[in-house]
Amino acid sequence: MTDSAVSAENVVKSFGSDIKALDGVSLEVERGTVLGLLGPNGAGKTTMVNVLTTLLRPDSGRATVMGIDVVADPAAVRRSIGLAGQFAAVDDNLTGTENLVLVGRLNHMATATSKTRARELLDRFGLSDAAGRPAKTYSGGMRRRLDLAAALVAQPPVLFLDEPTTGLDPRSRQDLWVVIEDLVRDGTTVLLTTQYLEEADRLADRISVVDHGRVIAEGTSAELKSQLGGAVVEVTLADADEAAHVRRLLDGVADGDIAVDDEVVRVPAGKGTSTLAAVVRALDAEGVTARGLQLREPSLDDVFLALTGHGAQNVTTTRDDDVERSNA
Amino acid sequence: MTMLAKESAPPSRPVVATGSSFAWALRDTSAMAGRNLRRLLRTPEQVVFNLVSPIMFVLLFRYVFGGAIKGLQGLNYVNYLVPGIAVQTVLFSAGVTGFALADDMQKGFINRLRSLPMARSAVFGGRVASDTLNNGFGLIILIATGFAVGFRPANAVGLVLAALLLLLFALAVSLGYALIGLSVRSPEAVNAATFPIIFPLTFASSAFVPVATMPGWLQGFATHQPVSVVINAARSLILGDTATAQQRTELLGGSSTGSLVMLSLAWTIGIGAFFGMLCARKYRRLTE
Repeated sequence: MTDSAVSAENVVKSFGSDIKALDGVSLEVERGTVLGLLGPNGAGKTTMVNVLTTLLRPDSGRATVMGIDVVADPAAVRRSIGLAGQFAAVDDNLTGTENLVLVGRLNHMATATSKTRARELLDRFGLSDAAGRPAKTYSGGMRRRLDLAAALVAQPPVLFLDEPTTGLDPRSRQDLWVVIEDLVRDGTTVLLTTQYLEEADRLADRISVVDHGRVIAEGTSAELKSQLGGAVVEVTLADADEAAHVRRLLDGVADGDIAVDDEVVRVPAGKGTSTLAAVVRALDAEGVTARGLQLREPSLDDVFLALTGHGAQNVTTTRDDDVERSNA
Repeated sequence: MTMLAKESAPPSRPVVATGSSFAWALRDTSAMAGRNLRRLLRTPEQVVFNLVSPIMFVLLFRYVFGGAIKGLQGLNYVNYLVPGIAVQTVLFSAGVTGFALADDMQKGFINRLRSLPMARSAVFGGRVASDTLNNGFGLIILIATGFAVGFRPANAVGLVLAALLLLLFALAVSLGYALIGLSVRSPEAVNAATFPIIFPLTFASSAFVPVATMPGWLQGFATHQPVSVVINAARSLILGDTATAQQRTELLGGSSTGSLVMLSLAWTIGIGAFFGMLCARKYRRLTE
């Protein structure tokens, strides 16, 4: 597929004999678009990024970046990609400028070009004032921006962002989102992994939902949400023990399957406010007092819950989690 | 927000030059070595340690143990001692190679490097180059301290050759530490591995006391293990013609300078090639 900046077919990667981190992942990222790889810790997101950025060799399947096979010609792939992520792989003892110039030189740019480019990027990411300070003096958000800048030094057409905002405060997260949106507007193709539904919703043109090394759903945010059939009434109970009872109670008024997540009961509400009113009447008739009640558009969290039976941030197995950590 | 102001026009993609891969590997190596040296200079405690430890060891051994060392066959102890401290200094520094690589692994920096179109060999080449420079610096401090307390080599050429021999040997050993660093991925674990390897190898050798004064069961090992071979070669180069026949037999294993140097180089090349190959393989296998 020549229009794809990134393409993967049935990628499998195991660690040891019994741990399958990727169990046949296929995806396509069209040029100039953002694909969000959404899933909980241990779903295989980082492993997938590592395969696409040539850090890991897949056991089977095929993957290309800008039409270049990651296994056959990893060196050529490295000339087309930038990688940044949750580990903010910058050198703490080097200054912001030195970090970027080093990456420029290792990208085989002339030293003078590297320096100009470093200044440009530091300026663009609001790091000019800190350019001469060692990176260890930076805040978390600044480090992440420097890391992203390092990935952009050679102006790669494809950018891989592995959980770019994990662990950042809301303000820094917002800043980074704006930066990423700017890049995309300039034509960069982005594949980003995230466990934040809000992040995928905001940045990604298309979303692949990953769980246990498989893509379990794929589409635009709107498409994924429409699978739930429109709005939901969300009832927050005082006690999770009541959830089962309330679920039975509301079965008659729901336009589909009710989802329960601890003390939160989500009722598909195809008839909007009419469904809301029906829910209120049903609860009132039985004397159930809810802590909260709202009618809202379905979030990706609802989608995740419906698809996997668990929330996006609930870690279901510790085993897969260990896999990603050991390969970090 | 002004900090996120967009560039008026996106700059064109910088021209990424092409050239012979060997020339690029050299350039990458020098970029990495420069980065490592910058790092080192910004870690003052490391610089101070590198400065202080050779000075301290020379002074302590010279003045505390010096009077009690027997079997020197009339050789001044400080002349015997300086090559021994030198090998100990460069071997401990060899551990730094592994420590630094493990640190880069742990912090994800190696993964960044692996995603760049740089020469793979430069990760090791840069490391080894900067660590060798650092080691050379340590040797200069050590020799200067030695001079201050009576160390007198027979000739300057021998001294320089001895220093180069020690640096080469340290480089070979540092590849062993590089392998440990890549395998354990934790700087603390590399540190923990330094002591139990380097201490027995330097103390159960001819570094500080003549092997003849050790118990019989230890003498065989202490005479023939590579650290002793290298120290004896360095000593032989430094003493030159001033070594008496008796000193040569009793202290240097009875061999000529030439054969000691050849044997040292053989050990150095053997150790370096062995660990160098394992390192390259380990690095390739990070993709598995």
